[in-house]
Amino acid sequence: MYRKILIGFDGSAAGRKAFDAALELAVKHGAELYVLSVARTLDVPDDVETEAVIENSRNYHERLLDELRPLTAAKAVNAHFEVSVGHPAEQIIFDADRHGVDLIVVGDRGRSRFARLLLGSVSKQVVQYAARPVLVVR
Amino acid sequence: MTDIYALAALWIGLALAAALASIWLRVATSLSEIVVGTLAGAVLGAAPLGADQTWIKFLAGAGAILLTFLAGAEIDPEAFRRQWKEATAIGLVSFFAPFVGCAAGAYWLLGWGGQASLLAGIAMSTTSVAVVYAVMLEFGFNRTDYGKMVLAACFITDLGTVVGLGLIFAPFSLKTLIFVGGLAAAAIALPWVTPQFFKRYSGRPSELETKFLLLVLFSLGALAGWADSEAVLPAYVIGMLLAGTVGRDHALIRRFRTLTLGLLTPFYFLRAGSFVSMPALVAAPAAFLAMLLLKIVSKSAGVYPVARVFGSPNRVSVYTTLLMSTGLTFGTISSLFGLSHGIVDQTQYSALVAAVVASAVVPTLIANAWFMPRHLLPVERAGEGAGSETKGS
Repeated sequence: MYRKILIGFDGSAAGRKAFDAALELAVKHGAELYVLSVARTLDVPDDVETEAVIENSRNYHERLLDELRPLTAAKAVNAHFEVSVGHPAEQIIFDADRHGVDLIVVGDRGRSRFARLLLGSVSKQVVQYAARPVLVVR
Repeated sequence: MTDIYALAALWIGLALAAALASIWLRVATSLSEIVVGTLAGAVLGAAPLGADQTWIKFLAGAGAILLTFLAGAEIDPEAFRRQWKEATAIGLVSFFAPFVGCAAGAYWLLGWGGQASLLAGIAMSTTSVAVVYAVMLEFGFNRTDYGKMVLAACFITDLGTVVGLGLIFAPFSLKTLIFVGGLAAAAIALPWVTPQFFKRYSGRPSELETKFLLLVLFSLGALAGWADSEAVLPAYVIGMLLAGTVGRDHALIRRFRTLTLGLLTPFYFLRAGSFVSMPALVAAPAAFLAMLLLKIVSKSAGVYPVARVFGSPNRVSVYTTLLMSTGLTFGTISSLFGLSHGIVDQTQYSALVAAVVASAVVPTLIANAWFMPRHLLPVERAGEGAGSETKGS
C-alpha cells in the first residue's frame, strides 16, 4: 500500500516513537523510508549569530540521523537520510511533495508547551497543509 | 579588584540567563540580552549595575565593533559585483524610504527635535541580513541570482545606516577629512596586506590573525572617535572589504565569532537594554508604536515596488519586504549612539529600542502567520528565473 514513507524526526521521545512506527510500516509494506531532520533557524534571528546557529544545528541533526542508520540497515529498509534548514512543518511538506511520498509520519509533541502555544504544533500544521495522508504518533 | 570581579560575575550571570532564555524561546541572543538588560536596569537600578564603568563600556564598545565587522564580512563579494546595480537600487531605497519616513514622523508626529528625528530615521532604516538569509536558505533562494541580489541589497541598507551614523552627526571639520582619508587608505591597503600577512603567519596558537584584525579595528575606531564619528563605520566597511579574504576563512571567522558572541556582545546588548526606561514606555507607548508602524509601512512602500520591478512575483515580494522590515543589531547600535552622544534622551531612546525590538519580532510573526505554508509560494528553482511553481503532486 505504501511505496514511500517520510518521517519527520527531531530527536525527541515523540520523534523516536514516530520513527519506530514509520520503520515498522516500511518493513511491512516494503517501502522506501525518507528520514528528514530539520535544522531550525531561530524564530527571531539576528545577524552573525544566525550562520553559527545554522551550522551547529546542521551538525547536531546529522549526528541524530547517524544514530538511526544502523536501525534501518538492520531491518534491510531502503532509507534516505536528509537534513534541511527551515521551519519543520514546511520542510516536511515540501520534502514530501518533492519525493512524492505516500505517507507522512510525525510525532505529536516535539516542541515545548510554550513553543506550541506561541507558534503552533508542527504535527497540526503538517496535518492541515499536507496534500497526502499523515500519521501522527502519540 | 573584588568589586570588579563581583560586577563581572553579575554581568556574566545576566548574559548566561539571557542565553538560556534565547534557547528556550528560539530568539536571537541579542534580543534576549536587551530584554534581560532592561529588566536588570529596572530591578537593580543604574548604580548597582555599573553600566557606565569604564571597563564595561570598553567591552561593550569592542563587542559592537567586532559584531559589525563580522556582519560586513558576511557579504558575498562575487554576487555583489555581478548585481551591484540592482542590489544598490533596492538597498538604497530600503534605507532612504524608512529613513525619510521615520525621521519625518518623529519630527512632525512626535514633535522630536531635528537631530533626534534624524537619529530615529537612521535607527529605523536598518535591515537584518540574518532574517532575510534564513528565509533565502530555507527555500534555496540563496543559490539564485534573485536571492543573492536581495542579500547584497541588505548590506547596502546597513552600509547606509553606518555611513549615516558616522557622518551625519559628526561636526564636519579637518578631523573628519583626516578620518575619511585614513579609512580610504586602510580600504585600499588592507585587502592586499591582510592576505599576505595571513599567508605568512596564520595557523599559530598565538592567534596572530585575530590580533592583527583587532589592531586594525581598534586603530580605526580610535581615529573615528577622535573625529567625533562612530567606530562601527570603519568596522563595517573593513568587514565588507575583507569579506572575500578573511570572510572565506571559516575557521578564523568561527574563532572571531566565539570571542564576539561569547564574551563581548553580551556586555553591549545588556548595557543597551539597561538604559531602557520601562516607566517611560508604559506611560507613553505611542512613540514606540508610531515608530514601529512607520518603519514597517515606509520600508514596505519603498522596497515592494522595486522588488516587483526586478521581476519578483507578488507574494514573494510582499514576503521579502516584510522580512526586510526587521533590524535588531544596527537599530540598537544607532539608538545607543544617540543616547551616548546626547542626541536623544532616555525617553526617546526607550521608544527607539522598543521599536527596534518589536521590528525584529512583529514582521516575522506576521510573515509566519499570514504566509504559511510558504512552500506554496512561487519559488525559483536554483539557477532558473523567478516565478516558477514548485508545488508537488
